[in-house]
Amino acid sequence: MSNFSRRKFTTGLAVGSAILAAPSLAFGARPRVVVVGGGAGGATASRYIAKDSKGAVDVTLVEASKRYYTCFYSNLYLGGFRNYASIGHNYYGLAVNNGVNVVHEWATSVDNGAKTLNLGSGGSITYDKLVLSPGISLKYDSLPNYSPEVQSRMPHAWTSGTQVQLLRNQVMNMKKGGTFVMVPPPNPYRCPPGPYERVSMIAHLFKQTNPTAKIIILDPKAKFSKMGLFTAGWDKHYPGMIEWIDPDTHGGIKSINAEKMEFETDLDTFKADAACVVPGQRAGTIAQSAGVTDGDWAPIIPATMASKADPNIYVLGDASVASSMPKSGFSANSQAKVAANAIRGELTGSRVFKPRFANTCWSLVATNDGIKVGANYKAGPEKIDVVDKFISQGGESADVRKATYQESIGWYEGITTDMFS
Amino acid sequence: MARILITFAASAFIMMGSIEYSHADDFFKNADIAYGEYLAGECVTCHRSGSSEGSIPNIAGVNAKIIASALHAFQTKERENKVMQLVAERLDNEQIASLAVYFASLTSD
Ligand SMILES: Cc1cc2nc3c(=O)[nH]c(=O)nc-3n(C[C@H](O)[C@H](O)[C@H](O)COP(=O)(O)OP(=O)(O)OC[C@H]3O[C@@H](n4cnc5c(N)ncnc54)[C@H](O)[C@@H]3O)c2cc1C
Ligand code: HEC
Repeated sequence: MSNFSRRKFTTGLAVGSAILAAPSLAFGARPRVVVVGGGAGGATASRYIAKDSKGAVDVTLVEASKRYYTCFYSNLYLGGFRNYASIGHNYYGLAVNNGVNVVHEWATSVDNGAKTLNLGSGGSITYDKLVLSPGISLKYDSLPNYSPEVQSRMPHAWTSGTQVQLLRNQVMNMKKGGTFVMVPPPNPYRCPPGPYERVSMIAHLFKQTNPTAKIIILDPKAKFSKMGLFTAGWDKHYPGMIEWIDPDTHGGIKSINAEKMEFETDLDTFKADAACVVPGQRAGTIAQSAGVTDGDWAPIIPATMASKADPNIYVLGDASVASSMPKSGFSANSQAKVAANAIRGELTGSRVFKPRFANTCWSLVATNDGIKVGANYKAGPEKIDVVDKFISQGGESADVRKATYQESIGWYEGITTDMFS
Repeated sequence: MARILITFAASAFIMMGSIEYSHADDFFKNADIAYGEYLAGECVTCHRSGSSEGSIPNIAGVNAKIIASALHAFQTKERENKVMQLVAERLDNEQIASLAVYFASLTSD
């Protein structure tokens, strides 16, 4: 704590004595950026601001966890393609190689006027610019009777960590010939193809260990990302195992009984032996308390990722309204670089370049059967506009699909290096 | 180290590309290395420096002409790969030169 109060003091002093003294690194005249959330958006933003400003900007990262388990590739862990340790990352590189002040605490609230971020311990940090990349929080009440208690019987596993391990355990131990129920979230949500990649990976496991098992998808959406590619893959690799039921057919989930593992719909009451239930989502709670949300998410100015509500706050990743970009790790990483460039420009006068964004989402359908969808984007006046896009084609050769999967492995190494090294 | 990626295939693209790299000094004269570093932010989400796992090649420390000719080959779709075609499609020659000179200036670790 003494560290924070000293820093606070020196920042105040620096403002007062700015005309008298030349900026001095040692005495805290450096502008300070505070980043909340050390995930795809926040880790990248911290690293780029610290690295590119070469010490001219003081960067503090507030991240609750000491280890970040990526949601990306958590489905491959479920399918047995990755071990759990391989998707965990620490913050040593940010601290040691880039000089980021890493603070493992929960950020509780923002005082926009005083430009102060308050922490769970009772301490606080002042900022010149605040970057929020807190990811999502779950809207438990978007589904009848779903709650933090129920999530141990019906994991969402949508924020990685132990939930994903729990889900894998339940899938592995499901009774032979049993039924697995997947409830995907309503739009908009993190990782549009994620629920369907998850179904693919669970089917892959069942095919080896429980081949008579069934998977039922009770979808609140009438269509989904890469739908044709996924359904063709399911027919090919897991014929007869997966049944996708659209909302017109099931009429919505009327109640969930976690004791009996039942889902009541207009069509039927579905009894599950294991289940994954992903509720609706909204921006991480700190975005709400910072007053930058409009409804569930935080609107931004596309050219800089600055909040529309507060010019000293930037919102990245899943928490932001960055349409047309999907909520993905790739998108968050891309947005972070745009924001880092804009923030450094404002604070140190460094060159600001025209913003450009990109995204690619790979999904694994079965062993060596990878598919991808991607686009590049530019900052439009109101939203982030698509420049051009592509999607894997149906009927591609096995070689192309294998190369696509291989590419995603390279990307995983690339993005995690770009976030944490 | 930097040279290991100058494969036979890659050097073939130098001759096939639409740009005449024997007058490469002209092509690279507008290269802006700081701009290249900014643009490279897009590339390093996939291209990690050093030994590569999976199928994404290391491009740090690779000769600038090799990088530029590869980007042109993706742009003209002589080289297949949807993500690289998309990446290359929106790069103009100044951006290609800046990126190539920036990546060439790095050491591969
Ligand atoms: C199953 C699944 C598969 C996915 N696959 C892919 C994929 O293949 N490719 C892809 O690009 N994306 C994928 N994603 C999406 C990707 O994980 C997210 O879009 C990405 O992580 C968003 O980054 P972010 O910075 O917004 O949030 P996050 O990465 O979630 O980071 C938020 C961080 O903030 C911290 N935090 C939040 N609030 C506070 C607070 N108040 N104080 C302190 N710390 C706080 C959290 O602990 C967390 O570490 C997948 C997601 C899921 C669920
Ligand atoms: C989405 C991931 C991704 C992004 C982003 C990306 N690349 Fe690539 N790149 C690839 C893949 C995959 C290949 C291998 C393509 C192949 O040969 O099939 C490749 C190949 C290359 C090659 C050829 C290397 C060789 O040895 O033949 C160059 C040069 C290159 N990329 C440059 C860039 C530059 C410059 C950028 C940024 C402007 C960039 N790439 C962005 C994935 C990516």
